[in-house]
Amino acid sequence: MQATIGAEIRLDALTKSYGDNLVLPGLDATLGAGEFTVILGPSGCGKSTLLNLLAGLERVTSGRILMNGREVQGLAPRDRGVAMVFQNYALYPHMTVAENIGYALKIAGVPRAERDRRIAEAARTVALGDYLTRRPGELSGGQRQRVAIARAIVREPSVMLFDEPLSNLDAQLRHGTRMELAALHRRIGASSIFVTHDQVEAMTLADRILILNKGRIEQFDTPEAIYRRPASTFVAGFIGAPPMNLLDAIAESGRVRLASGTVLAGTGANGPVTLGIRPETIHLNDVGEPVVVDYVEDLGGHHVLAAHLEDGQSLRIVTPPDRRPEPGERLHVSFAGASVHLFDAITGRRLADPAPIRSEGVPA
Amino acid sequence: MSGDIVEDTRGIDRTASIVLALGLLFILGPLVFTLITASQSYDSFVRSGISPVPGTHLIENIRRLFTTTAIPAQVVNSFIVALMVAAFKCALAFVTAFGLVFFRVHYAGIVFAVLMGTVLLPLDLRVVTTYQVVSNVAMPVNGLLNATGINAMIAAFFGAPVDLQLNLLDSYPGIVLPALATGTGVFMMRQFFRTLPGDLVKAAQMDGAGWFRFMIDIALPLARTNLTALFILMFLGGWTMYLWPLLASSTPAMQTAVVGLARLSPQGDGQVPDYPLIMAGAVVVSILPLLMIAFLQRFIVRGLTLTEK
Repeated sequence: MQATIGAEIRLDALTKSYGDNLVLPGLDATLGAGEFTVILGPSGCGKSTLLNLLAGLERVTSGRILMNGREVQGLAPRDRGVAMVFQNYALYPHMTVAENIGYALKIAGVPRAERDRRIAEAARTVALGDYLTRRPGELSGGQRQRVAIARAIVREPSVMLFDEPLSNLDAQLRHGTRMELAALHRRIGASSIFVTHDQVEAMTLADRILILNKGRIEQFDTPEAIYRRPASTFVAGFIGAPPMNLLDAIAESGRVRLASGTVLAGTGANGPVTLGIRPETIHLNDVGEPVVVDYVEDLGGHHVLAAHLEDGQSLRIVTPPDRRPEPGERLHVSFAGASVHLFDAITGRRLADPAPIRSEGVPA
Repeated sequence: MSGDIVEDTRGIDRTASIVLALGLLFILGPLVFTLITASQSYDSFVRSGISPVPGTHLIENIRRLFTTTAIPAQVVNSFIVALMVAAFKCALAFVTAFGLVFFRVHYAGIVFAVLMGTVLLPLDLRVVTTYQVVSNVAMPVNGLLNATGINAMIAAFFGAPVDLQLNLLDSYPGIVLPALATGTGVFMMRQFFRTLPGDLVKAAQMDGAGWFRFMIDIALPLARTNLTALFILMFLGGWTMYLWPLLASSTPAMQTAVVGLARLSPQGDGQVPDYPLIMAGAVVVSILPLLMIAFLQRFIVRGLTLTEK
C-alpha cells in the first residue's frame, strides 16, 4: 500500500448542540499529522459526536475544523479526504468484498482498470486477497472488519476515523487486530483518530490520548503521561486496571493525612484534598494502616483486593499471588514508596506533586 | 412427568393432522365442485343439477368460453390492471417509505399515521366519491375556481365559467389509479427499511453516495425480496378486485375477468344460468393466480418474515 500523507487536524472552538442539549461546549485541540489519536471517554461524553463532525456526517454548530490548514466543516464527507471504519462494519450485504471495497472509487468515477488494481492492493494489505468474490454474509467477524478497513484505505485518505471498531470482536481476535491496526497505521501514514471506551485499546494504540468528559477535554497527552501524571481525578479514575484509588485526605503543615492521622505524603498544599494512589504501589505489612478485605479477585499473576479503611473509604490493593487473603480478613497496608498524586478536593484538578513517604509515617 | 412432553407430541401430531384434514376438506370442497360442474354439459346440469361425479365436457366448456364470451379479452384486462396496480404500488411504497425512513421529515409520524389511515378507509368504502372524481378528474379544479370566486370573474368577463371535464371511467387509469391509494405497501417497506443498520447510510455517505445513489445502489437491491413479496400480493389483490372495476368499467371490453365472470349469469329472464360455463370461466380465471402462488410462495414467505441476512 502506497503511503499517504496524514493531515494535521485543528479543532478551533468547535461546538455541537442538539436543540438545547450542548454536547460539545467548545473544543480546541491540534492533532498532529500522521499521529494516532485515541479519543477516550465514557458513553455519552461526546466522542462519537466529535468523530461524526470530523467525518462530515453531522453539521458543526459553531467553530472550525481545519485539515492541513483548510477549513472543512462545510464540506461533504467525500471532499474531506476522510475515511471511516464503523463499529458494526456497515458493509453492503448485497455486494461482494471487491464491490464493497471499490464502491467509493466507482462513485468517484475511477476507471475500471485502476479501480481493480487499487481494490486488489487494499485487499492484499488486509490479507483478504482470496476473498474478493465472497459476500459479507460468508465472512467471519474478523474478516468483515478487514473488509471495512480495506474499504477505508482504498480511498487513500489523509485521515482515518475508527468508531469503536474492535468492540464486536472476541477478546483474542481483538488483541490480534489491535496489533495489525498499529502496524497498518505506520504503513499507510494517514492521521488516525480512534474512538473507544476501552482504556487498554487507548493505552496500546495511541500516540496521544484525548480524554473527553461531558464534551470537555480532560487531558490530551501521551499514554505514559496520562498514566503517570493524570490531570484530574476523572482521568485518574479512568486509566489503570484496577483504577487509581482516590482518598479524601487533609493537607496541613506539610503533610497529607487520612482522618485516622496516618501520613500519606508530604505537600505544600493546605485544606481538604483528594489523594490518588495506584493500587499496585501499596504494600501489605504488619504495622501500617488497618484495612478490612471485602472481596478478592484472583487473576493468577496477582490478586486484586477490594478493601475498606477504618473510616469507611474503599481502597483497591494489588497483592502478589503467594498469599490469598480472605474476605473479612484484617490486614495492614503501607503507603511507603507508593506513587501518590494530589488533586483539588473540589475541582478534581491536579495539584503540585506531593512527596512520597520513604518509610512509615515519615515524609521524604 | 418429564416424559409427558415427548410422549404428547405424537398425540398433538395426530390432532393436528385431523384439524388439517378438516380444514383442507372445507377449503377444497367448493373447488372440487367447481371443477366437477365445469366438466358437466349444460343439458345434464339443467336436468340433474350439481353432480358428485365429473363429466366429460370440461374442454368443450372452455372452448365455448373462449369462442362465445368476452372472458379471454377480459383476462388480458385483468392482467394489465393487476400488473399496473402491483408495479405502481411497489414503486410508490418504495419511494414513500424511503423518504419517511431516510430523510429527516418534519412530522414524519403524522404523515405515516395519515398514510395508515388509508388502510382503515379502503376503496370499497369510498366508491361513491371516488366514482364522482374519476368521472371528472378536473372536478377539484372546478371546485377551487368556484370557491375562490375566480370562476365568477371569468363568467363576468367571458360570459361562462370554466368547467373542465376529464372522464377516466372505462379506462385503465380509471380502474388502476384509485386502487393505488392505500398505505399497506408503505407500511411493509417502512418496516423493512427500519431494520437496516443506520451505519449503512453513513458508510454510503462516506463513500460519496448521495441519497439517490444510496436508494438505487443499496436500498433497492436490499429491498428486492420484500418488493417481490409485495408485488405478488398486490398483483393478486389487483387480479381479484371486484367492486371498483365493476363500477369503473361499463363496457365488456374494459371489464376485468372477475367482473366478466359475474356477468356471465343472465340477468333476470328466468333462464337457468349456464353454470358449467361459468365454472369453467372460474377455473380459467383462477389459473394464473394459482400458478403464481404455487411457484412464488417462497418469495412471499421470505419477504414477509422481514429478516434479511
